[in-house]
Amino acid sequence: MKLANTLLFVGFLGIGTSLLLALLWAPSVSINAFESPAAQRIFYWHVPAAWAAFIAFGALFIGSAGWLFKRSERMWRLHVAGSEAGLATGLMTVWSGCVWGAAEWGTPWDWSDVRLNTFGLLTLLAVYVVLGRNSQPDGVETRDTFAAFGLYGFILVPLTYVATRIWTIRHPGPVVATGDGSSINSDMGLVLLISALSFTVFIVGHILASMQLTSLEQRLYEMQQKADKVM
Amino acid sequence: MTYLALGYFGMLVAIALWTYTVVQRSRRLDERLSALESTTATLTPVEKEGE
Repeated sequence: MKLANTLLFVGFLGIGTSLLLALLWAPSVSINAFESPAAQRIFYWHVPAAWAAFIAFGALFIGSAGWLFKRSERMWRLHVAGSEAGLATGLMTVWSGCVWGAAEWGTPWDWSDVRLNTFGLLTLLAVYVVLGRNSQPDGVETRDTFAAFGLYGFILVPLTYVATRIWTIRHPGPVVATGDGSSINSDMGLVLLISALSFTVFIVGHILASMQLTSLEQRLYEMQQKADKVM
Repeated sequence: MTYLALGYFGMLVAIALWTYTVVQRSRRLDERLSALESTTATLTPVEKEGE
């Protein structure tokens, strides 16, 4: 738990620092390039949140596969932690994207944009997995059902990743790792990097903490079962 | 600026809620552990031997 707490603390500090840098230090974008230059600063948390969501959905996929094929308790705990982290970061991404879309495009959502829809579906999948699992008693059938959703739902991750590169409709194209160099200012890139690293540390800390809590809950449940038999 | 504030406020709420759920789970765990400890403390030695 100590490592998880340390990562959470460092990640939280980094996220807070990146917010201050984004609002106070990062340069403004050209007023001619954007309808709403001020709202563009949302991107310093929006992009890292989306990145963190992909890490979370990756954890959900590995955890789901590990449970289905190996029946590993540890992998089930990863499934639980990944789905919760995916839900939180997915909602952050969708929310910030909608707010930015409303400012920049005049509409919070564009149903014809592939990336928006695939990412929206991914977040809905996390909503379903988290709420569904919490409403069902824990058992092999429940775990198999939700692990299957976590496993097959992962197909939306690479689809979302390539969607902007293949079908650029409304959502802006990638600004880093584009193959022909970054298209953003170096100061902007630095803030984005700090934010992305902080979100990564934060989400890893959250996943570890959640896995450890699930492990403790399972141990306690087993102890309660034993105590019930005695009494 | 309103959109910017709204965007970050929503994300801060999401982080706060997410962290709150982890804290709540930890508290519930603590309560359940205390309840189990108080229950097992009332067991007589005979009951304990009967395990």
